[in-house]
Order: sequence, then C-alpha cells, then structure tokens
Amino acid sequence: MPAAARTDRRRPAVAAVRRLPEFLTIWVPLLLSAGHLISFALWTIWVSFTPSTLVPVSGWVGLRNYTAMVATRNWQIAFDNLLVFGSGFVLLSVLMGLLLAILLDQRIRGENVFRSIFLYPLAVSFVVTGTVWSWLLNPGIGIQKLVNGLGWTSFRFDWLIDREMAIWTIVIAAIWQSSGFAMALFLAGLRSVDPDLIKAAQIDGAGPIRMYRRVILPTLWPITVTVVVIQLQFAITTFDLVRALTGGGPGTATQLPALVVYDFMFQRGLLARGAAAAVLMLLILLAVLLPYAAWRYLQRRQSAHA
Amino acid sequence: MRETTFTPNRLLVYLAVLLLAAAYLVPLLVVVLNSLRTSEEIAQTSMIGWPKQWAWGNYVIAWGDFCIAQTCAGIRPYMLNSALVTLPATLISTLLGSVAGYAVSLWRFRGDRWIYGVVALGIFLPQQMRLLPWTVVLRDLNLTNTLTGLVMIHTIQGLSFTTLFCRNYYVAIPQELIRAARIDGAGFYRVFWRIVLPLSPPILIVTVIWQFTHIWNEFLYGVTFTTGQQQPVTAALIALSASVADIPQHGVQSAAVMIAALPTLLVYLFGGRYFVRGLTAGAVK
Amino acid sequence: MNKITRRAMLASTTGLIAAPRLARAQAVKPRLTVISQWSAGSDGAAITALGKKFEEKGGTWQHSPVPGFTTEMMNKLRAQIMAGDPPACSQLKGPEIAAWSKIAATVNLDALVAAAGYEKVVAPDLARLHKPGGKWISLPLQIYSTNMLFLSKRAMDKAKADRIPVTWAEFNALAENMKAGGVTYPIANGGTRPDDGQKFEAALAGISPAAYRAAMMTLDEKALKGPEVKAAFAQARRIADWMDPNTAAQHYSVNLPRFVAGDMGMMIQGGWAQGVLLNAGFKLDDFIIAPGPCDNGKPVFLLNADAFIFWQRKEPDLQAGQTLMAQLVMDPAIQTMYSQITGSIPVRTDVDLSGAGWSDGQRRTAAALKEAVAANQAVLSLAHNMAQENGMTAAIIDVLTEYVKNKAMTPDQGVARLSNAVEGAR
Repeated sequence: MPAAARTDRRRPAVAAVRRLPEFLTIWVPLLLSAGHLISFALWTIWVSFTPSTLVPVSGWVGLRNYTAMVATRNWQIAFDNLLVFGSGFVLLSVLMGLLLAILLDQRIRGENVFRSIFLYPLAVSFVVTGTVWSWLLNPGIGIQKLVNGLGWTSFRFDWLIDREMAIWTIVIAAIWQSSGFAMALFLAGLRSVDPDLIKAAQIDGAGPIRMYRRVILPTLWPITVTVVVIQLQFAITTFDLVRALTGGGPGTATQLPALVVYDFMFQRGLLARGAAAAVLMLLILLAVLLPYAAWRYLQRRQSAHA
Repeated sequence: MRETTFTPNRLLVYLAVLLLAAAYLVPLLVVVLNSLRTSEEIAQTSMIGWPKQWAWGNYVIAWGDFCIAQTCAGIRPYMLNSALVTLPATLISTLLGSVAGYAVSLWRFRGDRWIYGVVALGIFLPQQMRLLPWTVVLRDLNLTNTLTGLVMIHTIQGLSFTTLFCRNYYVAIPQELIRAARIDGAGFYRVFWRIVLPLSPPILIVTVIWQFTHIWNEFLYGVTFTTGQQQPVTAALIALSASVADIPQHGVQSAAVMIAALPTLLVYLFGGRYFVRGLTAGAVK
Repeated sequence: MNKITRRAMLASTTGLIAAPRLARAQAVKPRLTVISQWSAGSDGAAITALGKKFEEKGGTWQHSPVPGFTTEMMNKLRAQIMAGDPPACSQLKGPEIAAWSKIAATVNLDALVAAAGYEKVVAPDLARLHKPGGKWISLPLQIYSTNMLFLSKRAMDKAKADRIPVTWAEFNALAENMKAGGVTYPIANGGTRPDDGQKFEAALAGISPAAYRAAMMTLDEKALKGPEVKAAFAQARRIADWMDPNTAAQHYSVNLPRFVAGDMGMMIQGGWAQGVLLNAGFKLDDFIIAPGPCDNGKPVFLLNADAFIFWQRKEPDLQAGQTLMAQLVMDPAIQTMYSQITGSIPVRTDVDLSGAGWSDGQRRTAAALKEAVAANQAVLSLAHNMAQENGMTAAIIDVLTEYVKNKAMTPDQGVARLSNAVEGAR
C-alpha cells in the first residue's frame, strides 16, 4: 500500500484517475439530490411568474400571482392556521414525546410492548390517520357520543365542527401520529445521559424533579432541536392528513398552505397561482430556518474561539 | 445502566402509561373492528361500533376479490407493486445516504458543508412542487408509467432524509479513527468498509425503517406516475373509497387498510427496539 | 363486421333510422387507451361493461382507472399530456373540456356526430359544452340531476303530509311540519363541498332559473348582486339550520340510516342517491323521489353530465378505436345499458324509459329533464363543475361552504363575498 501511495504522488494524472470512482461515488448522489432540489425549486419559482393555468407555459406576469394569492381568503386563513398549528403542534408534540419518554424511562415492566404501542402510529399512512380520527372526533359517532352514552350527557367534544377549534383536531391527530418519533429520540437521549452527572447530583441530595430539571433536560437540548426540526417539517408539508381529517373545513376553517398549494395547482387548474403559494410557503420556512442557521453559525464560531 | 432511584410514585407511572397506551390503541381498534363488520352494517349504523356479525370474509375479498374497474384481483397484485418499488428504493437510498453521510462528515472535501446543507434542506420541499418537474424528467428519460421511474423518484428524494440521518450519526465517530486509517494508506472505500460500515447498523436500521414507511405509504406519486395494474397499494385503497354514486365499502376497505398496513406495522414491531437503540447510539444532533 | 353488428344493434331499438354507413372500412383492429376516475362501484361496473362491448366489437380495451377523485384523474391526464402521450380517450366534463382542449389537440367528431344524428337528441345547453370552438370534440355519456328531492316516507308520516312540495314555500312549510311532528332534523344533506354547493344552486335555480343562468352560468355582475341571489342565500341558511350540526364535513351517506328511519326528513341530492340508498340495503318503499322545488311550478333541472373527450393520436389502431368508441357512446342501446347500471339517465332525449330495467326515480328524472328543456329551465350545475371552470367553481364554493358552516354570516355578507370571489377569480 505505501508503495502505491508514493507512486501516486509522483504521477498526478494516475492519481486523478485512481480517485475518479471515489469522486463519482461522493459527488453523483449528492449532486443528483442537490441538483433536483434546486432545479425543482427554481422551476416552481419560474412558474409562479408565468400565466400558467392547466400546464406550464412561458410568459411573464410579474407579481400578479403573488398579489392575487395574498389577497385570497384561503391563503390568509391558511397562513394564520400555519402559525397556530405549527407552533401548537411542535410544542405539544415535543412535550408529549418527552412525557412518554420519561414514563418509559422508569424501567417499567413491559417497556417493549408500550414502546411499540407508542411507535406504531408512525407506520400508519396519513390518509388512514386522518380518516379514523375524523370518525373519532365526530361528536355524533365518536368520543362525545361514547362519553354521553356512558352517562355524562353534558360532555361536549365537538371541536371538529367548530370553526374556531377545528385546527386543534388536526393537532391531536398529528400528535398521535408523530409523537412516537419524538419519544424515541428523547428516550435515546435520556438513556445516554452521563451517569456520573447523575451520581453527582444524587450525592448533592437532588430530588427527582430537580434531577430532571438540572441535569437531564439540559442534556436533551440538542435532541430537542432535532425533534423540533423534524416536527416542523411535518407541520409545514402535512397534506394527506389534513385532507383526510377535515378536508380544509368546516368551510375553509382548517386551510393550510400545503392544501392551498395542491388545491390551486391541481384542483383549480391554476398552476401559477399555486406555484406562487408554494414559493410563499418556502419563504415562511426560510423565515424560521434562517434565524436558526444564523444562531448555529454563531454558536460554532463561539465554541471555536472558546 | 442508570439506577432508578428517583422514581415518582410507580403506581402513577403505570396508570399514566396504561391510559396513554389505551388512547394510542383506540384508532387501531376502530379500524380492526370495522374490518370485521359488513359494509351494510356500517352504513346502517355508524362508523364506530362493535361487529354484529363477524365479517371475516372482508379479508378474503380485500386480499383477492374486489374489483378495480375490470380487474378483480383484490389488493394482492398491488402489494407486490408496492414491494417492487419500496424495497429497492429503500435499500438504494439508504446505502447512498450512508456513503454520502460518511463523505460529508468523516472523509470531508471541499464544499461538503454547502452541499450537505442543500441536501438536508430538501426535506422541507413539499410534494406539490415536485410533481410536475418529475413528469418532465420521466418523460425525457422515457420512464413514464414505469415502476423503475417510481423507484428512481423515491431514491433521489429519499437521499435528503437518509443523508441527514446518517451524517448526524457519523459525526459522533472520532476523526482520529479515520485519520489513522488514511495515514495507513486506506482509501475512501476501505475506510467506509472497514471502519464506518461496521459501526453503522443502528442508524441504518433507523433509516431503513423510516424510508420503508414513507415510501410504502406514499400516494401522490404512485397514482400519478403509474397506470393500471402497476399501481401501488395506496392507490388500490383509495379505489375503495366513495365514488359519487355508491355507498363507501367501509368494511372491505378497512380490511384492505389492515392488510396494506401490515408490512409497516411489522417493520415497527420488530424494528422498534433497534429504532431506539439506533438513536441512542447516535445521539442524533 | 362493424357494419353487421351496427345494423343488429340498431334493429333492436325502436323508432330509429339506420345511420348511413361510414365510408372508411375498418382495416385495423381498433384499440383504445382510456383514463377515467371510475374504478369502483357502479361507475366502475358501468365502464367495465362498456369496455366489454368495445371488445365484443373486436377492439382492444385498455382502461386505466385512476383511483381517487377527479383531481387525481386530471393529474394523470396532465402528466400524460405533458409526456406527449395523451390517452386516446379520457373522462372530462363541463367547461373544463374547453379549457383542456386548448392544451392538446383533440379529434373533430363532427362527421361521426352528424352520421349518428346525435346533436338533435342532446339538450342544447349540454351540447354547447362539448363543442367549444364550434366542433364536437367530446361526447356526453350520462346525465344526473343534482337537485332531486328525496323524502323519507316515515318522516312524511310524522308530519302528516301527503303532498310533495313544489315550491320553496311549500318545502319550508313541510320542513316546519316535520319538525313539529318530531323529525329531529328535517334535512339530511351532508357537509362536503359539492353538497354545500348543491344546497345553494338548488335554492337559486328554484327561485329563478333565469337568475341562476345570469349569475352562475354567465357570471353577470348585476345578477350576482341581485335579490334572487340574496333570497337563495336566505333559503340556504334555512336549509342549513334544519341540518344536524354534527354532520360537519361528512358525506351525506352517513345520514341515510336516520333518513330512512324518519329521524331526518328530506334530502336535496343528485339522482345518484337512489343507487346509494339501494346499495346500503334500503328499499324503494322507504323514500320518494321528486324534482327539486321550483317557484314557478315547472321543474328546473340542474344538469351534471359525464363525457369522454378524444385526444388526437397518430396511430391508426387508436384512431379506429376512437371511431368505435364514439359510435358506442352515442348509441342508445349503450346509453341504456350504462344508465341502468349507474342509475343516471341517458343523454339522448329519445330513449324510452318504460322498460323493466329502469326505476321510477329515473323515469321521473327523465320526465323532469324533458319538461325543463321545454320550459328552457335545464341549467348547468355549478356544484359539479358544469357551469364554470374548476378555478371559478372552487372560488364560489369557498364562499358557499363557509356560509353554510358559519351561522353568523348573513345573506348580505354572502352576496358581498360571492361577488368578491367571482371578481377575484375572473
């Protein structure tokens, strides 16, 4: 091996050829991925400036699609809903995942079974989730009917048909679907907390709550960030689940940007408008991610200088 | 191994876990019960209920009998199609993702941070923005309406998640290991094969589970880019939904949903423990 | 072979002149690639039967049903067109036919239509949709009415009613009587988007078919802000108030058990609901079908018609397949077979529905269509994408579905929002 290395240094052309497979192995998949992402995004941006309706056509209409989209009630409702749903869902699913992880971390019996129970919703398709929860949350046939039937007749759980509360039904179904992933990540984190830190805290006489607050939860911070990112991705791109659960209703009360994009691009035959909505969606995303990226960059600079 | 010397009241813990587990199981129970009720009974009473008579026949019809237009072969052929798409796409995207993750986190090269950034951000690109461009790509490659085209789409799209997962896992591997191997003259492939790959099983399992589930349950591309007999199982399930002039075949549909969900459920059942283990070993950042 | 079989078919129907033989002999085996959304249920059965007839004529039938609803089918069509490989024939309807015909070349069917004498037997408003630019490029296959009135026998008994309401005033009175008689919810409609659209369009068309034409089909600004539209909103509000609030966005079929049991009284639904009721195990005795209410006494018919559009292909076998398909679609025997399977009525106004395969509901619907055409009150359904292109329809239904679900919205607000939506979507 060392002999070959010396030869390579003397003959750069041979070296380059030798490294070609490696070069290709590294760059081809990465370029395919990055390439398709960038070109698709650029294509959508291009379409948003054209007068495309059923199929993409060339032309330039300036910002007309954007102004029309922003002026549409559907989009305005969707934007508001995204803020409510996004923050509510991410926060609650993180908390739920954390709760489940802490519970499972208590070395209870049958941990494997419980862990499978909390994880299996991840295996279910979004369409099925949305459909089943639309039955469960329907006051006439689901949970409200059950509780009423058990005797508590004044119990009401009709969020599904309540225009103000319907968005929270999506939060419920989405948490059911994806909190298992958060739980898995948090459980992994809890199990990898440095035992010495815990021993030290125990020696200091810390009770369970202080233990969690001072030692364990801070260690989970990087994992929390990952969970937030993955759940945020889910919140922004979720489409099948909402379509199956509320269809954007009642009326237009649970519209979300992903639905609006699909609706305008494909159902209404207004490609350019839908593309404009998609670009707006990406801009919202950037508004959330850029501060995070900047913060991480500063963090790295800080730890590099420390 | 940590001692659980600071547990809250264990009874409370068990109670909480049992209640939550019951809540998480309810949707599954509803579907299972519906799969054993006749469609007429569901139509005549309610979506949620206990079977009056046990319609085991629903599963037989769902598996091999129900008709999608002129083909009356049930869900069986579509399960095969889904497998033909999901398995290759999962395996290839996982393999490529692990190599890519290794390349950007351990092997390092110029521009690795940037390209990784773009690839990872790709998880946020919504489906709708990809549908028509893929139409154009498939047309130019002459892969319209082929399972190969679908595999290609899912593989390339999957690279975003697989690279993300693997890279975050590999950053925990000490650079010294790699450096030492390179000094000894090991090349790109040797380092991967001898050092990185043996350490990878936990994250590979996580990635495989994630990809398998997502590709198996995917609907939009499956319906648009295939035709007739080649459609994946998700398309067949929708075919059982209400058409305008018909009562929804809820009983058979629920049975079909259970059959279609079986592979992913099994994957999580058997892989669940590795799922957590993989994440534990990786402390995904 | 084509000549003989056609003569045999024509001979088996009554009162038709034999169509002149086409000049071109079929030297190629006809083949047809078809895309539709009809994969299951009676729609699936009907198109499969049509396919069998195609194959009996010696053709190769290649039907790709696209599961899901119309959007998925249109996505597939769009993908095929963009790939340069449109199907020889695909399902399409309403003004979308005109819109899609601009993005890919279609086949001129004028010769075939003239040969079959089809134009004479199609309602004029309907024919217009299939000849954008003056030439026939698509053929309607079956007709549904979207504003049939379904009455629960048991609920009628509770209300001690024996007359079918003809005007909206009578309808409202009956609903009140039902409520007084113990029917919990006089209206059994669902809450899906087309359903909400149906409620409004039935109200408007029943109040004034002329206003409906002007407002919904022509999008005349004055009509959109006119008193009839406001009255339609008010009527829609009454209908919504008589519904079970728990229905939310569900399909109307979840209400059928209570409808039949007399706990819910009436439904304004398309004629297809008869098939749904029978498939769910209910009996024809359980309900009555009548034309939807119309204030001027003559029936108003809100048309919903499915059609096939033919895309230009160079291959001779596909072209032969298109010719064969067109002939089949226009054939009264085929339309009879198709409609008997799906529960619709044939497009041809000259088909005799007195035979055994037809139900009373279908006969009543066909009679209503005839009368409505004669009184110029056969209009195109908005809720089912017949009156406007999908973008405009969706914008209007956005307003309608919010109005139905938001009890605080007044008819005035509804009118204002509606004209805004129409302006924004123009």
